[in-house]
Amino acid sequence: MDLGREKTVSQPLSSDMAKKFLGGNGFVTKILWDEVKPGLDPFDPENRLIFAIGPLSGTGWPQAGRFEVGAKSPLTGIYGDASCCGHWASELKFAGYDAIVFQGRASKPVYLWVDDDKVELKDAKDVWGKTTSETEKILREQHGKDVQVASCGPAGENLVRFAGILHQRRAAARSGIGAVMGSKKLKAVAVHGSKDVALADPEGFYKFSREIIELYKRDKFIESRAKYGTPILVELMNEIARWPVKNFQTGYTPHAKEIGGERIREEYRIKDRASFGCWARCEKPLMVKQGPYRRIYAKQPEYESLSALGARNWIHNLDVIIYANELCDEYGMDTISTGGTISWAIECYEKGIITKEDTGGLILSWGNTETLIELINKIAKREGFGNLLAEGSLRASKKIGKGSEKYVMHVKGMEIAAQDGRAQKSMGLAHATSSRGADHLKAFPLLDEVVMNEYIVARYGREYLPEMANRLDIKHKPFEVKDGEELCALCDSLLLCKSAGTSLPLFTGAVYYPEMAKAVKLATGMNIDASGMRTIGERIVNLQRAFNIREGISRKDDTLPSRFTEEPAPEGPPKGHVVELEQLLDEYYKLRGWDKETGLIPRKKLEALDLKDVADSLEAMGKLPR
Amino acid sequence: MVVKKILYADPLECCGCRNCEIACSVAKEGIMNPHKSRIRVVREGPVIDMPIACRQCADPPCAKPCPTNALVKENDLVVLYEENCIGCGLCVEECPFGAIFIHPDKGTAIKCDQCGECLDFCPTGALKLVSTEAVAHEKRIDLAQTRVKVIEEWLLNSKDMAEK
Repeated sequence: MDLGREKTVSQPLSSDMAKKFLGGNGFVTKILWDEVKPGLDPFDPENRLIFAIGPLSGTGWPQAGRFEVGAKSPLTGIYGDASCCGHWASELKFAGYDAIVFQGRASKPVYLWVDDDKVELKDAKDVWGKTTSETEKILREQHGKDVQVASCGPAGENLVRFAGILHQRRAAARSGIGAVMGSKKLKAVAVHGSKDVALADPEGFYKFSREIIELYKRDKFIESRAKYGTPILVELMNEIARWPVKNFQTGYTPHAKEIGGERIREEYRIKDRASFGCWARCEKPLMVKQGPYRRIYAKQPEYESLSALGARNWIHNLDVIIYANELCDEYGMDTISTGGTISWAIECYEKGIITKEDTGGLILSWGNTETLIELINKIAKREGFGNLLAEGSLRASKKIGKGSEKYVMHVKGMEIAAQDGRAQKSMGLAHATSSRGADHLKAFPLLDEVVMNEYIVARYGREYLPEMANRLDIKHKPFEVKDGEELCALCDSLLLCKSAGTSLPLFTGAVYYPEMAKAVKLATGMNIDASGMRTIGERIVNLQRAFNIREGISRKDDTLPSRFTEEPAPEGPPKGHVVELEQLLDEYYKLRGWDKETGLIPRKKLEALDLKDVADSLEAMGKLPR
Repeated sequence: MVVKKILYADPLECCGCRNCEIACSVAKEGIMNPHKSRIRVVREGPVIDMPIACRQCADPPCAKPCPTNALVKENDLVVLYEENCIGCGLCVEECPFGAIFIHPDKGTAIKCDQCGECLDFCPTGALKLVSTEAVAHEKRIDLAQTRVKVIEEWLLNSKDMAEK
C-alpha cells in the first residue's frame, strides 16, 4: 500500500519467501532488509510499516492468535518489531492476506479498510486524535461489529518514539512502531474477512491440532496463565531479586504482594478474556471498586506494566497502576519504555541532575503517583517536560547531559524490560544481543529462571545440569540464549504466543521443532523438517543482525548499562553479582559463528543460511569481518 | 415430556476465544471459516462475550415463514432439511437471536443441530448443553447464594449492634 500515491498492489506470496521465512517476523525482517535503505530516518516516508501474520493464523491452531508489526524503529534506529494478540490476525487471514506493507506518507490522515478483496484508503478525520478504544468503537460502528481494528493512539500521531499499535487493548508495543504509523498519517487498519482458511491437508491438520490441544488442556503453565495471567510472576521474580525497583537500583521490594497476581485475582478480576483460538485466556478485565479510580477496566496490567509503571517508580498503589496502564493503552504507548523513561528521570532528579527548571516545575520523586499520571499525559501529548521524555530515555539523556547517561537503563536505545540481568545471567546476555534492543522476548531464556531441571533434561540432556539451571552461573547461558533466539524467531514467524502457547516448546519441548514442522506441513504442504525449521529461526536471527550491522551495529553496541556490569546487585540471592557480559558474549559469538572481535557475520555463515545476497551487500559496504 | 436443551454460556464465564466457532466450522465444513460456523461469539465492550446458537424454540418463528418446510420442529430440535431450503433468508429475518445463518457458498440456511462438538473445545467450560430446567435451577441457586450473603452480613452487623 503506497500511502503517498494512494495505490494498492495485491500480489501473491512467493513460495521462496514462504519457504525461507514462513511468516510474521520472518516476512518483516526480509522486507525491511530488501526495502529499507541503510541510514534512512525512521520517520522518512520511505520507511516501511509491515503487518504480517503466519501460516497457522486463523486456522484455529491453539495459541496462534498474534500478528507482527515491523518497521525501522524510531526509538533505536535499528530493526524494530512488536507483536500483539487478539482477533485481528485471524480476521486478516479470513480476508485472504498474509501481510500488508505500507510505504510513503498520506497527504492527510487516513485508515485502511480491508473487506475481503476490497481494499480502500479512507479519510480518518473522524478518528484522528481519538484514543485507541474510541477509534475501534467508531470504526466498528461504521463498518460492522465484527470488524477488527488495529490503531495507533494520540501518542503515535504525536510521534512519541515509543508509541505502539493497539488492538482490543492488546498492544504491539515496543520499538516505537506506533510512531512510524503516525508518521505515515495512518490511523488504523480495519479488517473484515469471510473466506475459508485454505489448508493443504485440513483433515490431517485438525486431527493433529486436536492432539496438541489435549496437551494444552493439561499444561500447568497454561493453567497458571488462565488463573492469573502474567502478574503471578511479580512475587516470584521479586523473590529472586530480578524485579526492577527504582530504576534497577535494586531487584527487590517488600511491597510486591501489594501489586501481585494473587491480589489482583482476589480483589479486582472480573473474568477471563482470550484471543482467537487461545486456551490460556490471560487477559483479565478488572474493576476498581472504590476511590477516585473506581470503574471497569478492559485489562489487567501485565507483569511488565506492573513493573514499569509500578515498582520501578516505587509505586505500589494498584489502583493507580491500573489507571496508568489504561492511560498508556488509550494513548497507545509502550508501558515498558514509558515507565522506564520516567524512572530514569526520577533517578536523575533524585541525584540533582534534572531540576525543577527542566521539568517545568514538576517535582519528581519515588512513589509519586500524581506525577506518574501527569507525566504519562504530558508524554503522550508532548507537552513541556513530556516532550523531552517522549524522545525515550537515551535521547532525553543526551539532551540533558551532566552524566545523566549513566542512569539510562537501555540497550541500543530501548528501555530494559522487567529482568535484572544480575539476578539471571541469561537474561543479561539476552538483553545485550536482542535484535530490537534491550528485550527479553527475543531469546526468552526461561530454563534457568526457577527450577526447570526436568525441561533442561528433556530439551538438551542431562549433561547440562546442574549449571544451566543455576541463574547465577554463566555456564551454558550463551548456548541457552542462542538456542532461544532461534526458537523465538520461529515462534514469531508462526505467530505463536510465547507467554503461554509456547510455554510448551520453551519449557518442556513437548511442542517443539518436529511438531511445528508437522503443523506447517499439514497447513501449507511445505516439506520442511525439524532441522529445517531450526534453520529458518537461525536465518531470521542472522538477517535481523545483518540489518542492524548495515545500520552500524557491532560488538561495541551489544552492551548493558554499567549498573549491570559494574555495580553488584545489592540484595537477595544475586547479592554481589554483576553480569559477566564480555565472557558471555565471547562464547555467544563463537556459538553463532560470528566474528568475536566485531560481532559481524562472516560470509561463510550467511551462505550456509542461504543468504548469499546479504553477504554480497555487506561486503560491498565493508561490513564483513576481515 | 419435553426436555428442552439449550447451548448456554454465562457471558462473564465465556472468554471469547471462539474455539467453539473453530470446532463447529471444522466439524461441519472440514475447514475454518467463521461465516460457516453454526455458533457465533459476540464480543462487546470490555466484559461481555456471548456465544449464540439456535435455541431450538418450541414455537420456532424461523419455521413459520419458511415457504418450503425446510425448517421443522421435531422432538426437541428445530430440524433443517437442507434439500428443501431455497435460501430465501426469511428465517434469518425472523430469528430473534440472529442464530440462523446463510452459508456463504451454498446460499442456503445453516443452523446449530446440537451435535455437541463445540463443548469439548471450551477452555473455561462456560459453554454447556443443558436443559432449560438446569439453567433455571442454577439461577435459583445463584439467587439464593446472593441472598445468603446479604442475610449473613445483616446478621453479623446486628450482632455488632447488640454488643454495642
